[in-house]
Amino acid sequence: MDVYLLSQYVLSGLVIGLIYSLMAIGITFIYGIMKMINWSMGEFYMVGSYVQYALLATLLGWQLWWLALPLAMASVFVLGVIVQRFLLRPMYLGGIERRDEYATIITIALMVLFRNLAIVLGGPNQYSPRDYAKPTSILTLPISGNRMVALVSAVVLLLLFYVLTRKTAIGRAFRGAAQNRVGIQTAGVDVLRLDMLAFGVGVSLAAAAGALLAPDFLVYPENGAISTFKGFEIIVIGGLGSLLGSVVGGLLLGVIEALGSVFLSPAYKDLYGFVLLIALLAFRPTGLFGERERTV
Amino acid sequence: MLKALRTFVLAAGAAALLAGPAFAQAPVKIGVLTPLSPPGDATAGQFIVRGAKMAAEEINAAGGVLGGRKIELVIEDDAGTPEKGAAGLRKLVSQDRVVAVVGQFHSSVAEAVQDLAEQLKVPVFMTQASAKKLTEKHLNYTFRTHVIDPDRVTLWNKWIQQQGFKRVAILAENTDYGIGLAEETKKQFASMGVKAELKTIIFDRAVVDLTPQLLEIKNWKPDLFINIGIGTPVYLISKQAYDVGLIPATPMLISYDAPARPEYWKNLGEKGNYATFIIYYHPTMKLTPRGEAFRTRYREQFKEEPVYGALNAYAQVMLLADAINAAKSDKPDDIVKALLSGKFTGWNGTISFPKGEGAYWQQWTPPMLFLQYTKVEQPFPEAKIVFPPDLKTGDLMPAPKR
Repeated sequence: MDVYLLSQYVLSGLVIGLIYSLMAIGITFIYGIMKMINWSMGEFYMVGSYVQYALLATLLGWQLWWLALPLAMASVFVLGVIVQRFLLRPMYLGGIERRDEYATIITIALMVLFRNLAIVLGGPNQYSPRDYAKPTSILTLPISGNRMVALVSAVVLLLLFYVLTRKTAIGRAFRGAAQNRVGIQTAGVDVLRLDMLAFGVGVSLAAAAGALLAPDFLVYPENGAISTFKGFEIIVIGGLGSLLGSVVGGLLLGVIEALGSVFLSPAYKDLYGFVLLIALLAFRPTGLFGERERTV
Repeated sequence: MLKALRTFVLAAGAAALLAGPAFAQAPVKIGVLTPLSPPGDATAGQFIVRGAKMAAEEINAAGGVLGGRKIELVIEDDAGTPEKGAAGLRKLVSQDRVVAVVGQFHSSVAEAVQDLAEQLKVPVFMTQASAKKLTEKHLNYTFRTHVIDPDRVTLWNKWIQQQGFKRVAILAENTDYGIGLAEETKKQFASMGVKAELKTIIFDRAVVDLTPQLLEIKNWKPDLFINIGIGTPVYLISKQAYDVGLIPATPMLISYDAPARPEYWKNLGEKGNYATFIIYYHPTMKLTPRGEAFRTRYREQFKEEPVYGALNAYAQVMLLADAINAAKSDKPDDIVKALLSGKFTGWNGTISFPKGEGAYWQQWTPPMLFLQYTKVEQPFPEAKIVFPPDLKTGDLMPAPKR
């Protein structure tokens, strides 16, 4: 096996891993604040890709993908806020006590609903926006312009997200809520309203991934399923609730899958990540960067 | 008085039931079990439904079957998964009481469906499922009017020999169709004495990023790349193969007729140019009068060329109506007998179902052609036929360097 080829595999794994980590961060962020798993994350990815395609195909024209991206994120943010306000909020009693099974049922129901809505509205066919940019290369790796755009945008979004959570007042509130939902209420923060924002931000990250990957991975009713799986794998590997873990977990998963599928067999590509995941759970149950949850 | 009235009403009701022109006019139901949602190739399913519906309309306009009974289609989605296919067939047979089922497209689904059809004793038609084991099992209720994989492979191996390709790479999905084709190619390379090296990679159908596999293939430096994906994967492979620079420098053969569909150019744009693909129908083909009439009506109704799936589903429903009339019965077993003993008009030839050797069991095979696109957005009827030699209208065009 020559070094050139190996470097290509590793690079392709790193690229896709970083893009997947957008999904993971969305999931882990929502979990961190609301302490619930959003099973319909992939469907928000799907909605993001459809909105992006619809905007480009009808209103904006193929060139303006960079304008469609924030619009797609914003519309999914609004959708997320509505979902949280009317469907998820009722599960909290007084902001503290929550009924976990409620969130599971609601988000799985949403998954089925969104998929079927997509079939009803857009038909079961695949769609694809035109390429966002010309093919290019990273070091030894020939790469589509779309994936390059997705990579750069993912880095930018991750940085923005970092700034949002670390450097702003609302970010402090988010981190506070993640540590202790009761504590943050004693400091005068309306934790249910905070949830609404957190859910919106989380799902808009998934929408960004969907919109960015649309020209490479196509737009169709089930396109979110695979990214949800990846997202969950990444957060378990990286540690639930850890943002750094999401990024490192994403990169690790991407590389392991790329190498496994080449050196072992591509028929089981989705398996390698799970093997890593199981091994990790055996030796480090909290994931690479996870912390044991604080309890009151 | 009341008692008399009640007796009268009951008697009248019973008479109506028994004498029953209404009963005799009950429709004959035919099931269309086909992929209409992902992960199945839903586009293919829509074309199949289109063809079947046009056949039912035509039969009913001409007075139906069995002296005036209408054909009623019951459409059911198998979503391209064996479990939904089996559940769908069960519903069609036990609840809707269909007398036959057409529309099977995915080989993996077809296998589950045909086993169940054998138990439920209802004839099932492979409209576009091509795995050879489907007819190799010699089941009594399975019929096929579609190409089988060994023939597909024989044809591309002949093409490989004629073109003098030396290194052939296959990327195939992990389904009965994909694995079957990959293995058959390996087998026939030996039996036909094809002097070329073969590299086969099987991938999981659920995976969307195939970059590592395509990089591996590219670095192996093939002179022919065969894309064995169905539905979404066929597009994912084409896009990503272009992105890593494998195609169009290396010629790509797509294993079925997806590029003949209108959405091909919408999904791929310039990345779809120079692809070679296998089709079973071409607009320049001479058809039977029945096929010709269908083609004309289809063009009028949809303003586009008919797609093979529509033609084949149409022909299957038509020949089922013929078989029902020949059997003078709507009982599945009588229909099967009629199918086995009769000769039927298809869209481009006469169809019969002899119990032949191996996979040629209750099997009728349409022609196969290799077409190549040489311009972006080229309409499918304008693509040149590059193989087989007796039908060809042009040579394989290499893509210019980019």
